[in-house]
Amino acid sequence: MTTKNWIVPYIELGTEAEAFRKDYLKAFEQVLVSGHYILGPELSNFEKEFADFCQSPNALGVATGTDALYLALKALNLKEENEVITAPNSFIASASSIALAGAKPAFVDIREDGNMDPERLESAINAHTKVIMPVHLTGRPARMPEILEIANKYNLFVLEDAAQAIGARLNDKRVGSWGDAACFSLHPLKNLKAIGDGGMITTKHVDLYNKLKIARNHGLINREQCDFWSYNSRLDELQASLLRIQIRQLEAHTEARRELALRYNQLLKPYVVTPDEGPGEYCVYQTYVILAEKRDILQQHLIDNGVQALVHYATPIHLQPAAKYLGYTTADFPKTMKHVNHIMSLPIYPSMTHQQQDTVVELIHDFYKN
Amino acid sequence: MKVPYNYLPMQFSQYEGIFDEWKELISSTEFTLGPYVENFEKKFGEFIGCKHVIGTNTGTDALILALKAVGVGPGDDVISVPITFYATVGAIIAVGARPVFVDIDDRYQMDESLIAKAITSKTKAILPVHWGGASPNMQAIMEIAQKHGLKVVEDACMAPGGSVYNKHAGTLGNISAWSMHPLKPLNVMGDGGMVSTDDDELADWMRMYRNHGMVDRDHNSIWGVNMRLQPLQAVVAEHILKTVNETVEIRNKNAQILDNGLSSLFPAVKVPPRPKGYKETYSLYMARFERRDELKKYLIENGIEAKIHYPVPLHLQKAAKDLGYKPGDFPMSETYGQEIITLPAHQFIDIDLLEYTISAIKKFYTNCLGFVDIPKMN
Repeated sequence: MTTKNWIVPYIELGTEAEAFRKDYLKAFEQVLVSGHYILGPELSNFEKEFADFCQSPNALGVATGTDALYLALKALNLKEENEVITAPNSFIASASSIALAGAKPAFVDIREDGNMDPERLESAINAHTKVIMPVHLTGRPARMPEILEIANKYNLFVLEDAAQAIGARLNDKRVGSWGDAACFSLHPLKNLKAIGDGGMITTKHVDLYNKLKIARNHGLINREQCDFWSYNSRLDELQASLLRIQIRQLEAHTEARRELALRYNQLLKPYVVTPDEGPGEYCVYQTYVILAEKRDILQQHLIDNGVQALVHYATPIHLQPAAKYLGYTTADFPKTMKHVNHIMSLPIYPSMTHQQQDTVVELIHDFYKN
Repeated sequence: MKVPYNYLPMQFSQYEGIFDEWKELISSTEFTLGPYVENFEKKFGEFIGCKHVIGTNTGTDALILALKAVGVGPGDDVISVPITFYATVGAIIAVGARPVFVDIDDRYQMDESLIAKAITSKTKAILPVHWGGASPNMQAIMEIAQKHGLKVVEDACMAPGGSVYNKHAGTLGNISAWSMHPLKPLNVMGDGGMVSTDDDELADWMRMYRNHGMVDRDHNSIWGVNMRLQPLQAVVAEHILKTVNETVEIRNKNAQILDNGLSSLFPAVKVPPRPKGYKETYSLYMARFERRDELKKYLIENGIEAKIHYPVPLHLQKAAKDLGYKPGDFPMSETYGQEIITLPAHQFIDIDLLEYTISAIKKFYTNCLGFVDIPKMN
């Protein structure tokens, strides 16, 4: 993650971490001398704060965002033939967690905005379908009212993959409070980030919450009684202590990100398809993704001129070697394929200056002018 | 007098070195794998004398990763023991296999004489546990595995600093899984683990699986998971690694003192045999005691933080109900569950606390069992 040679790096973790460094180290020191490093007061306080933030009654800390998805799916006791429907343009963990939980990943194509298309959803549902897993990709909320209506009709569980979307809202309701449960990642490139890995699960069902609380800690009811064989997936006290510091700043950081994103939207509109907000949407822009003609050449142009532009993700999940056995082809999801060939993530981070942003815009302007 | 079981506040009272490196880490933004993790992996490899070390998020993850790497999956049986931490069996179940137990010996380790009888056409691997930081008879287990074409994954979670016939414990099987949970001889400030192997191919596969099965950022060839060791913890681990040999030395001296003090109480107290050729880490200092529950209560009342690891063997846990075992199947394990106690013997326990512990136990048996000639406690 070298940032040295870029005029506009993709992200500035160092500057952000530096700003918090004193607070982090003070929090670490408190954890250190407490001698309590796992499943202690920092985590339970963070869980309460996170639940409140997400407008959900329950939140649970786990080791990674992938574990969050995996544990939530595992708790549903899916069978081999059961299908979980998700979007093909997400990070691989959305699908690998389904496969690893013992079920079959199924995909549905996306809308213009990059999220699961509710209008195509019903045709993907069959007798084996148990779960719908919409992804709030890039920090844009998926069309939850329509998805929930279909889920209710077919009695399906809705698990939100909110890995990229902490704080995003649709009609003033936050992600993580729509579905039966939701999973979040606290990876360093997320808006709320651990120094390392971390994940969260929110759920409206107290019985599921209780089960997951045991599942993340070896299936132990207490030190001496093991009710079901399970895993170790816990969020450390160290990480919880620094996340508590960050969550207090999250609204302000999200606003800074949104200000930049909305400014990008205005300035870039003449050249590319910008990620405008749809009706009722409050996007948190974990990534700022445009759709660009001649994408590969543009990306190279930006990189050559010191702007670290990336593609999330160049190969959709259904075409990964790991997904070969599912039998999908390049003809399956036309909207996804169109996206894959045009998407590009531009630098965005709370400490980005307008001057840096103008550099990016000017380069794009120059590129299309010529 | 207080004889504490938890030594973490004492262990981490000197933390300037860790803090200095954390400051560098925060500035470097190397928060996912990267140089801090690689540096620790290399140093631990040198410490145990093993070619590849791969850091994982937990010891449980390490066990799962190792079992998957040697090809254990649905339909396979894995032979292990009912006296271990839940995660040993949790990992076998996690990869879709079935745990098959064999009983323990008088050192609380896998009884190698019972393994051959437990092997069937479904058996894929043996998972011996270095329970408490002692080691099972690994040479014998490796011979049996080779004879039957089985893989061996060692649960070496408590074994850093231990040895078996001059080789570091946990370097004889195909892969070993290690834990750095706070109460292990090599510990971090949270969860952490690693796998070790000399096999290049297994190492490559495990590195890939631990990081989402990614070949590079844009391609993944297998469904993998995220089991990465956290750089914050890798920094702690690297610092603690420097102290492991000294810690284990002190624990050995402490264990010797407890052994000597308790041996005279035989048969009420049974100290396990300590055969030559094995260096234990005394992650848990354990012995078997008559009237165990009363003794434990007495010790707690006298400020000695005695523990039980664990009273119910795994084959009798509710989680094991589908495995078809019943009371009586593993007599040694069940006796162990009824009689075992773990006494504080860690590196911050001094001679006064050890003598206090011994005299408390002697006093208990004097009162209960009519022993005579025992010095009174202060």
